[in-house]
Amino acid sequence: MPSRASDGGSGAVSLSWVRRRGRDGLLIEGIATPGGKPPTGVAVYPAALVADALAMPDLQPLGGRFAVDGEGVRFTPTLPFVDGLEYAVVERGGGGARAHRIVRPGRAAGAETVAASLHPTATTVPLNLLKLYARFSGPMAEGHAARAVEVVREDTGQRLEDVFYQGRSELWDAGRERLTLLLDPGRIKRGLGPHEAMGYPLVEGTWIRVTITEGFRDADGAPLARGISRRYWVGPALRRAVDPDLWRIAWPAALSTEPLAVRFDRPMDHALLHSALAVTDAEGGPVAGRIEVGPEEASWRFHPDRPWRPGRHALKVEPHLEDLAGNSLVRVFDRDLDRAEDAPRRTGGAVYEAVLEPKVVTA
Amino acid sequence: MDRRELMVASMAVALAGTAATAAPASAKDYGLKKGPADLKSVGPIAFGPAGILFVADPVGAKIYALDVGAGAAAPAKAVDIDKLDTRLAAFLGGKREDIFVKAMAVQPLTHTVYLSVMRGSGSAGVPALVKVDAKGDLSLVSLKSIAHASADVVKAPAADDKRTAPVVALDSRLGKQMKLPNGPAINLDMRPLRTVTVTGLAYVDGTLLVAGASNEEFSSAFRRIAFPFTGKDELNSLKIFHVSHGKYETAAPITTFIPYGAEGMVLAAYTCTPLVQFSLNGAAADSQVNGKSVADLGAVSTPLDMVSFKQGGQDWFMVSNTRHPLMKIARSDIDKQDALTHQGDLVGATRHELPQKGVTWMSNMGDGHILMVQQDDTNALSLRSYAVESL
Repeated sequence: MPSRASDGGSGAVSLSWVRRRGRDGLLIEGIATPGGKPPTGVAVYPAALVADALAMPDLQPLGGRFAVDGEGVRFTPTLPFVDGLEYAVVERGGGGARAHRIVRPGRAAGAETVAASLHPTATTVPLNLLKLYARFSGPMAEGHAARAVEVVREDTGQRLEDVFYQGRSELWDAGRERLTLLLDPGRIKRGLGPHEAMGYPLVEGTWIRVTITEGFRDADGAPLARGISRRYWVGPALRRAVDPDLWRIAWPAALSTEPLAVRFDRPMDHALLHSALAVTDAEGGPVAGRIEVGPEEASWRFHPDRPWRPGRHALKVEPHLEDLAGNSLVRVFDRDLDRAEDAPRRTGGAVYEAVLEPKVVTA
Repeated sequence: MDRRELMVASMAVALAGTAATAAPASAKDYGLKKGPADLKSVGPIAFGPAGILFVADPVGAKIYALDVGAGAAAPAKAVDIDKLDTRLAAFLGGKREDIFVKAMAVQPLTHTVYLSVMRGSGSAGVPALVKVDAKGDLSLVSLKSIAHASADVVKAPAADDKRTAPVVALDSRLGKQMKLPNGPAINLDMRPLRTVTVTGLAYVDGTLLVAGASNEEFSSAFRRIAFPFTGKDELNSLKIFHVSHGKYETAAPITTFIPYGAEGMVLAAYTCTPLVQFSLNGAAADSQVNGKSVADLGAVSTPLDMVSFKQGGQDWFMVSNTRHPLMKIARSDIDKQDALTHQGDLVGATRHELPQKGVTWMSNMGDGHILMVQQDDTNALSLRSYAVESL
């Protein structure tokens, strides 16, 4: 359904969206086509920049081509139109300039995208917490994280500043739905300049509230319909390598679909729990199934798609699995040099094996 | 010992066996083929030989080599453009706040300026390579039919991504044992590939240097990809020994780097603000390269970009930063700087602060000028040329 718009009091010019040979165009009707050619002095701008266009005679308009189309003139942009954006056709002539506006249809302008989750869900986080993950219900725009994430100390109401690392680009996943918020490693690592100058980003022994505000923009530029907020108690710093020997592993019975359940000695990194633990069968092949991360990232369950086969199975722990403070199996994120056992290692994954047997029910 | 170690992953590549023959002269000799270049995004860019522009596509996890044309040599001219963000928004069609300038490069022969720009982001993000001529006119590099080649950057996987990369495990409990022909048995561990964000690109004599950061593990990646792209990429780990002012081990991502000199030297900047010098010469697969921390640029700031230039008979490096002023450091001060082994803020090679404000991306414009993208207090961007004598 073509939408039409005009203003500037001309009444004569009308704009509509058209599609020709698979490409979107803007049809401008009611302007002269001298000699059967597109007129000069007509240009398309994002409507928000019309004032700039009038003030800056050399402001290049939207890149694209004009062509005569029936009674009107069709503008085909080089890059696709932006859904939901208002465009303006600016006519410059002897009598000054006139602008005609039209909104590109698209997703409703109202905000729909929400902040869906914030990890970790653990109530207590270590003083040297390294990462938070914010997940959104749809693809997001980059460039808003610095202003749209708030960390407030609840006892004083004071906003904590410079908590997060601000790199060259924000750390989004490929679908731009999950943002990794890295707490400034320079402030976490003892001995570094930022730590010496400003201390830890968090304050031990206080409640903090982390808020993903509506100030984020989704990929269409709309603010969030709903942010998300979570309280954390800031506990002592955690500086020990992840040691799977401290976990409790509950193996299921063969022929059942009970989950393989692992309880950790401390909360783990939510994202890595989906890639750093794997279950293999007797042939070493992966067992198909679904991963469930337990409350507060303190446990992990693997639900097989099919009943467990009797025989040898293994739980493989990748060396890069990290806890909330970025400690992995092979590295303590902020290690004490006098603890030789914390020296980084090149490899050091772990494998736990069990022979699964059917549960024998005795009468 | 006040020492930290820095792990850096690298992709070492078997170089094409053409080193002894004359260098190819035109883009088609590099294996580029004409067709649509399906870039999903644009990030860092850098010029290679024969008018080839390397473009990182972080979302598509590829590096493209695009033939943007060698062009006719033209003298370098100062380029000054105000309201660059407004101009890009008008030309590309978008709101000012949806325009993201990701990188800048100047064609060394024609001195045409190239900007990699994202209009919008997420699924609505549209990549654009914008040419800026000496008069300040903007034009788009058409990606619909352009001679190009691409190489995969090891990437990251969505949750259901089954791709893996083989890593030789030292621990016999991991991976699958394989017997090498006439050799020992090794354990190959198939690791899932992980998301990589490309933070820097540079081309030196047949090799593309790529710095990146992973978005899950806190780790850094540094790859060397042979060009022309051979398709045979070997993943290996390159370790550098990182000496800095702190006491603790780190694996901070490289935020920007610049290769220089004849010995495969690289000056790299990190988030924890050290500048580190290392040499890639003779760095075989799986080898360890010793890095030397030569300066700390100050707390709570991220170095954004680096250029080098000659001034007063000296070689200089210049570093733009998120918070701290633009700084220049003499190469001689870096070369003579002893490795920093004690904690300290703003220590190491003498740096000179410069008055240019809000500098993000920088490029050499001939030998005489440095072109800078500058951001003012209202987030408006401008492109400014500065004569090297004035810096």
